[in-house]
Amino acid sequence: MATDLLGNALTPQEQRLLDLYTGLKELAADDLPPTAAANVRHALAQLAQAVNSLALVHEHLTDLDV
Amino acid sequence: MAESPYWNPKTETLPREDLRALQLVKLRYLCEWALARSSFYQRRFAEAGFHPDQLKRWDDLRRIPLLTRADWMASQAAKPPYGELPAVEPRQAIRLHTTSGTSGSEPLRALDTRKDWAWAAEMWSYGIWGCGIRPGDTSYLAFGYGSFIGFWGLHYGMEKVGVLNVPGGAQTTESRAKQIVDFGATAVASTPTYAIRLAQEAQRLGLDLPGAPVSRIILSGEPCPQQTKDLIEGMWGAKVYDTAGMTEISTIFMFECAHQPGGAHLIEDHLIEEVLDPHTSEPVDYGENGERVVTSFGRSAIPLIRYRSSDLVRKLPFSHCPCGRTTDLYDGGVIGRVDDMKLVRGTNVYPRAIEGIVRGFSEIVEFQVRLFTNENLRDEIALRVELPPGYEGWPALRDKLHQELADGHEGLNFLVEQAETGSLPRFELKARRTVDERKRS
Repeated sequence: MATDLLGNALTPQEQRLLDLYTGLKELAADDLPPTAAANVRHALAQLAQAVNSLALVHEHLTDLDV
Repeated sequence: MAESPYWNPKTETLPREDLRALQLVKLRYLCEWALARSSFYQRRFAEAGFHPDQLKRWDDLRRIPLLTRADWMASQAAKPPYGELPAVEPRQAIRLHTTSGTSGSEPLRALDTRKDWAWAAEMWSYGIWGCGIRPGDTSYLAFGYGSFIGFWGLHYGMEKVGVLNVPGGAQTTESRAKQIVDFGATAVASTPTYAIRLAQEAQRLGLDLPGAPVSRIILSGEPCPQQTKDLIEGMWGAKVYDTAGMTEISTIFMFECAHQPGGAHLIEDHLIEEVLDPHTSEPVDYGENGERVVTSFGRSAIPLIRYRSSDLVRKLPFSHCPCGRTTDLYDGGVIGRVDDMKLVRGTNVYPRAIEGIVRGFSEIVEFQVRLFTNENLRDEIALRVELPPGYEGWPALRDKLHQELADGHEGLNFLVEQAETGSLPRFELKARRTVDERKRS
């Protein structure tokens, strides 16, 4: 079972946020058209704030240019 | 959830023990990041015999060497333009900001990636939401929008929260005062000094600020004694909320919540805020003055670990505020700078203490503190004050001010002088009202 940074089980909402975040990371690693590449990175930078503030994930994303 | 008084209910109300555990998880990651990517930290950790694996308990934090602005500047000078602290290549950054340069030293250069920059806005959002600003409000940011970081993070934070945001850059003070009224701003952001200046300008223009919709003023950039807050609240007819930030972390580290218990909450799920004795570097207790030392988790481009800020602060436990947040507070915000104390004939003089007295006299338009050596080689301190044109109460005001300054400074004799109207400097960013012209032997 997935947990947050404190070892607590994720709520269904938190799990959905995390799934979105993971999906955006996978997309950001793809070779995308400029419009998609830039907007995915922008969205990932924003979503990273939510998963970090909610203590779900804490990581930097410079390897994805984010 | 939209009715929550907290931007982030989950971590703003964590039990302290859990908050510490979260900070320790983030601290380990930060130190591993810095060790893997920053040549500065690789060298610094090796010299101190520190490795992130040593971070097992909270007290292990103190194994990490302290970082100073001088370290950063030396690195920047040795390897321009950014020094060796950055953990990324400059091409990975999307923002460059500098310090204001008001301290007279070379401005510090700081880089942010996309995520770092979004984090700056996220941190401001804690303060925006915490003081009660909501979608439907209209904000006016009265600052110059240059390379100085200023309220840039607040700008993007307001947009993120859903506030109608008016960027007040490249405007005269007169134009800004008019726009605030014309656009129906409900929240205004500026330095304390500039909030006073805007209100004075509005009075000159015959604008009714207290009758305008402005209900909240967010202050940042300077220490703000209670007397200054009271003065601004009276001039604007609005509540004042203090914040403080720094270019070194790209954003704010504290904000005043709607309960306003006399202190500002630290954003401890994103930072570690230590208060140390500036001479011994030992931690001081709650309620004792000390130097603020910050560790920032949010910026990937430039890891900032145990950075000595030179800010003078006094920490209070979270229980001092009834709002429900479990984050500690700084009593009265940032009190001043560790290095801004002046010694005048054996008496300690702090600019903030003088400002606190001066702001009790609402007639005073602007002021300046001048320290000089007289013909007998004795240190003197003069307070120069500017009054409204035609003001007739000068002798009584001078005597009362003189007495209050002496009472507040162990009987020290201040020379209290009236300056000509419009002769003293005006400030939009960080005010520099203390001029030390004393001769050094």
